[in-house]
Amino acid sequence: MTRRARSMAPAYIILIIASFLSVFPLYYMAVGATNTSMDVTSGRLLPGTHLVENFKSLISNQNLGVAMWNSLRNATVITLLTLLVCSIAGYGFEIYHDRRKDKLMSILLLAMMIPFVALMVPLFRMFSGWNMINSWMALVLPAISTPFMIMLFRQSARSFPHDIIEAARLEGLSEIRIFFQMFIPVMKSTYGAAMTVTFMNAWNNYMWPRIVLQSNDSITMPMLVANLKSGYVVDYGMLMLGVLICTLPTAIIFLCLQKSFANGITGAVK
Amino acid sequence: MKKLILSVLVALTVVATVFAGGASESQSASSQDSNTLTVWAWDPNFNIAALRAAEALYQQDHPDFSLNIVEYVYNDIQTMLITAAEAGNLSTLPDIFLMQDYQFHTYANRYPEVFTSLNDSGIDFSQFTAGKTADSNVNGNQYGVPFDNSTTIFAIRKDIVEEAGFTVEDFMDITWDQFIEQARVVKEKTGHPMITISGGSEIIIEILQSAGSGSPVVNGELNIADNEVLYKAFEIYKTMYDEGILVDYTDWNEYIASMNNGVTGGVIQGCWILASIEAAADQSGLWRIVNIPRLGDVEGATNYANIGGSSWVVSGNANTELAIDFLRSTFASSTELYDQVLAENSVIASYLPAADSELYGSEVEFYGGQSVYADIVEFAGNVPAIDYGNWYNEIRDALNVALTNIVQNGADIRSEMQAAEDTARFNIGL
Repeated sequence: MTRRARSMAPAYIILIIASFLSVFPLYYMAVGATNTSMDVTSGRLLPGTHLVENFKSLISNQNLGVAMWNSLRNATVITLLTLLVCSIAGYGFEIYHDRRKDKLMSILLLAMMIPFVALMVPLFRMFSGWNMINSWMALVLPAISTPFMIMLFRQSARSFPHDIIEAARLEGLSEIRIFFQMFIPVMKSTYGAAMTVTFMNAWNNYMWPRIVLQSNDSITMPMLVANLKSGYVVDYGMLMLGVLICTLPTAIIFLCLQKSFANGITGAVK
Repeated sequence: MKKLILSVLVALTVVATVFAGGASESQSASSQDSNTLTVWAWDPNFNIAALRAAEALYQQDHPDFSLNIVEYVYNDIQTMLITAAEAGNLSTLPDIFLMQDYQFHTYANRYPEVFTSLNDSGIDFSQFTAGKTADSNVNGNQYGVPFDNSTTIFAIRKDIVEEAGFTVEDFMDITWDQFIEQARVVKEKTGHPMITISGGSEIIIEILQSAGSGSPVVNGELNIADNEVLYKAFEIYKTMYDEGILVDYTDWNEYIASMNNGVTGGVIQGCWILASIEAAADQSGLWRIVNIPRLGDVEGATNYANIGGSSWVVSGNANTELAIDFLRSTFASSTELYDQVLAENSVIASYLPAADSELYGSEVEFYGGQSVYADIVEFAGNVPAIDYGNWYNEIRDALNVALTNIVQNGADIRSEMQAAEDTARFNIGL
């Protein structure tokens, strides 16, 4: 063993342990989905042959297709609207900034500190007062504008070269066109990062959708997973499969957008 | 520019169209249709299956009737109740919802408007087990129609106790002292603990309840520090824990595995645990059911308690007449319904006349031919009523901390009881 390899050994050991700790729960989930409930509770770590049965019980127990479609639709629409609204806001705050807008931004950032639980009752009061419970507006409106996303886009807009804007203005482009035709293409990686985070949040969001969508037809994947463990007897094989299916879309989105996520968070301009 | 605005408008229209199909138009959760009741409940294989059976039964006389059952996990039902009550808008509540027995006092005292009193409903509540009826009776108002039986049972592995030289009957109608003596022998001869549990203080609560009127931790006011019954319960627990007679699992899965993998000689739990025990089909014929041990030196102490379980509530936003008639005609009077849900979904009734049916008296092969269902309903009839007042959660949390300190850190029981009372008082705001 060379000296260099020896000196790196402790680092590798720590990294191997860290990787194991990160990957093992995923492995356990995937393996659990193929085993019977009894096998899961007894801690079996090898893949089993019960995957099909677990899937059959899952679809007979819960409306998997509806939940999957609802989750995909909700998350996609919320993500698109959030990107649109927050990027326009972030762009506006940075490009047209003055002291009053900066103050407004500080207030927005303060709003980040308020936990959702504290907002739940006032929000519910508002939407039920407007007769909007059980409507998509109640689901989408509170989600599409988040202080964090506005801040992310504002920070990115800071690295956006102002010369481009000046040049575009000289060319006669309107402000909206500059945003859509100059800013968005240049900021692809920021949009990628924002999309990953927003999609994951929208996909995993549980509490608010549960409160405002009060019908079985509106069930989403996280609600489905919660239902799977609500009984006196829990089928752990089926539960693991439910969790696995619930995790897949966000995992796929993350893997596809991994590169732009890293670039976007660090604020790269291409 | 026009193109751009047009495309944004098209996109927004698409969004609206996509969503339009997803959510119902109605704001109110309770049913607008006079023949439909909206019900919130959890567990499709148990509570919801029973609702479906009740719906079919009620439809025999009311062909236009239907239930709109929305599946909610229990925590979400609580969140919805709190949110609606705090927002002062009950229009989002369903006609009927299911509620865990131990929380009736907490909610009915804080948000009485969420409930409809069933005192004048014509339902005969004396036909239900006293312990469960008392749970949902708050300030003289009966708010719940008791549903599933949650009587505490002691499920025993016959083969393990016989290996140690005992019979199952040796564990029936005994005191905790006798139990500990016998369990020591079982542990010594077979190596098996006699009880496994998950989440410590549950068994303390069960011992308190089994002691009946001698024990209340809330008797007009909080009574933890000087509660002799509680002291004995802690002492029993500590002895069993120290000697390995009892094993406490922090993880529920491990707890279930301890039964299914033959680790434990028995388990003390609400009778709903039977379904988990029966999951190990290879243990058919090995299990028996007896009542739980009692406190020998406490006057009025019994061998009976209950834990878990839930009751049906008519909400403050209900089609009251229909909701009450539905409950009265089904869960509060039909032994036929209880027979069906026992056979199909292993739901054991807390409706006492149900126990007289042939099905309840039938011998169950998994338990070596014992008539377990009739036995459990008989146990249920003896469960003493006990009132934890509005502070069940706060008391339970304080007892949990005390128990952990006592068994794991070797803390003094008396001082932990005092600390538990102080903590509970602080959290309640007394």
